[in-house]
Amino acid sequence: MTFVAHGLGGSTDLPVPLSYALIGAAWALTFTFAIVALAWRKPRFDAAKPGHPLPVWVTRIVDAALTRWVVALLGLAFTMWILIAGLFGPQNNTNALPGAFYVLLWVGLVAVSLAVGPVWRVVSPMRTVYRVTLSLFTFRRRNYPARLGYFPAAFGLFAFVWLELASPDPGSLTAVKVWLLVYAVAMALGAGVWGGRWFARADPFEVYSVVASRLSPLRRNRDTRRVVIGNPFDHLPSLPVRPGVVVVLAVLLGSTAFDSFSATPGWRNFVDELSSGSQVAATLVRTCGLAVFVSVVAVTFSLAACATGGVDRRQRLALPGQMAHSLIPIVVGYIFAHYLTYLVERGQETMVRLGDPLGRDWNLFGLSHAEVSYILSSHPSVLATVKVSCVVAGHIAAVIAAHDSALRLLPYGHQLTGQLAMMLTMVGYTFTGLYLLFGG
Amino acid sequence: MTKRALAPLMVILAFVAGCGGTKDSQPSSSAPQQPSQQQAPTGLVVDITISGGNVTPTNGEFKAKVREPIQLRVNSDVADELHVHSVPDHTFPVKARQGQTFQFTAEVPGRVEVELHELDRTVATIQVQQ
Repeated sequence: MTFVAHGLGGSTDLPVPLSYALIGAAWALTFTFAIVALAWRKPRFDAAKPGHPLPVWVTRIVDAALTRWVVALLGLAFTMWILIAGLFGPQNNTNALPGAFYVLLWVGLVAVSLAVGPVWRVVSPMRTVYRVTLSLFTFRRRNYPARLGYFPAAFGLFAFVWLELASPDPGSLTAVKVWLLVYAVAMALGAGVWGGRWFARADPFEVYSVVASRLSPLRRNRDTRRVVIGNPFDHLPSLPVRPGVVVVLAVLLGSTAFDSFSATPGWRNFVDELSSGSQVAATLVRTCGLAVFVSVVAVTFSLAACATGGVDRRQRLALPGQMAHSLIPIVVGYIFAHYLTYLVERGQETMVRLGDPLGRDWNLFGLSHAEVSYILSSHPSVLATVKVSCVVAGHIAAVIAAHDSALRLLPYGHQLTGQLAMMLTMVGYTFTGLYLLFGG
Repeated sequence: MTKRALAPLMVILAFVAGCGGTKDSQPSSSAPQQPSQQQAPTGLVVDITISGGNVTPTNGEFKAKVREPIQLRVNSDVADELHVHSVPDHTFPVKARQGQTFQFTAEVPGRVEVELHELDRTVATIQVQQ
């Protein structure tokens, strides 16, 4: 059922008892809030700040058509490589495809986007296919309806986490292949109708990459388009506010929480009991559970963002979207807390397998004798500390970002009271996050 | 999530606990000594019974140590396959008979899931610690 054991320990791996970590985290958040509320009366973060420009040649290389094509074709070649491994490699659990899909793509994309920016736009194999097709044919395209916003991407992200956490057999090669086929067809059809804009709004990996990249120190100067380095807090508010943006973040955060929750024996017994041996029923129960987690995040965050006085109805409804970027640090922190061992250890394993894609004892990367180093798993207390730090740092950053945007968005006189609900929500997220992460 | 979210969650958990599902998770470490054998198992022993399409335990929770032998003692009335998601991972063929024993060690700390393939059930999660 599960793709691979997480290699994550329970609360006994923590150097301090879980209750101390929980209390400490809650105090850290409360103090952060108290300090920023008292000492931080003017908004400081602004996506329009110039940042420290990097040398001109950096921008020139990044923007060169040659660079873009080389990276795009490399991305396409790597995808083909993985697909060949999936289709013609050993059809058992030594195949490289699931590891590449669940680990390199899902977790690796966050790490790379955080380091250098929204790379999926450049490496996306479906975009490259589209560009090549476009250079051969011309066809009429319609304008993408603005009302749809990020909803197609939110749906695609939900489809991904559904496959990983709720489908009957996530580790099954066939399941991954069918998912990828549906993804490719959906991307191709949408691009045929709405052109390249479709990828920006509907490709789950592109939107995921854009979301993670907003915490990167590297960004563009808004006026000169030069690549600059600067405070990630100035980068966060540049997340585009479009319909569905809260749902995108809720899917990312809710699914990570559900991943922890669904490993608890209580939930598994509940699923077994309700489904009484029927796989379809078990899948339905898990799907409902996943949907409940996502909805709870979306609803609590939206309500907390709206809970302020002094705004009219139109402004109130716009607030959740305008505040959505403050969830990014939590999502990224939680993804690292949860999947860091995956990325480091299963990632190595996947690279070794990709060196021998067809299971014929090839040794293309010179890795066939390399031992996977379980550096994180074999130091459980270091790992546990890293995990707690990621979660707590993510939440503190989120409180700061939310406070700053509240100062900008909320009317004078409601700037403090208008944030209280959000503060409570974030303390709740921290508690639930740590509790679930360490298995209660 | 906030308290709003925790309330239904607690209801679910309470319901599950009320159904007696969590009673299976008694750790049965410190195995009985078997001096007749050459290597007496010192680590965890998990007794697994498969009969009439049911497996006990289901979703059991156990604790074990790294590099210590873990034994699965299986009584079964059907053929199936046990998947042990440890490092390195193991697959054991289960036959329709009593008293089969499979032994493995986990080399890396973490959660090791033991799954019954055909029946599609998680038998146990073993918390492997240093």
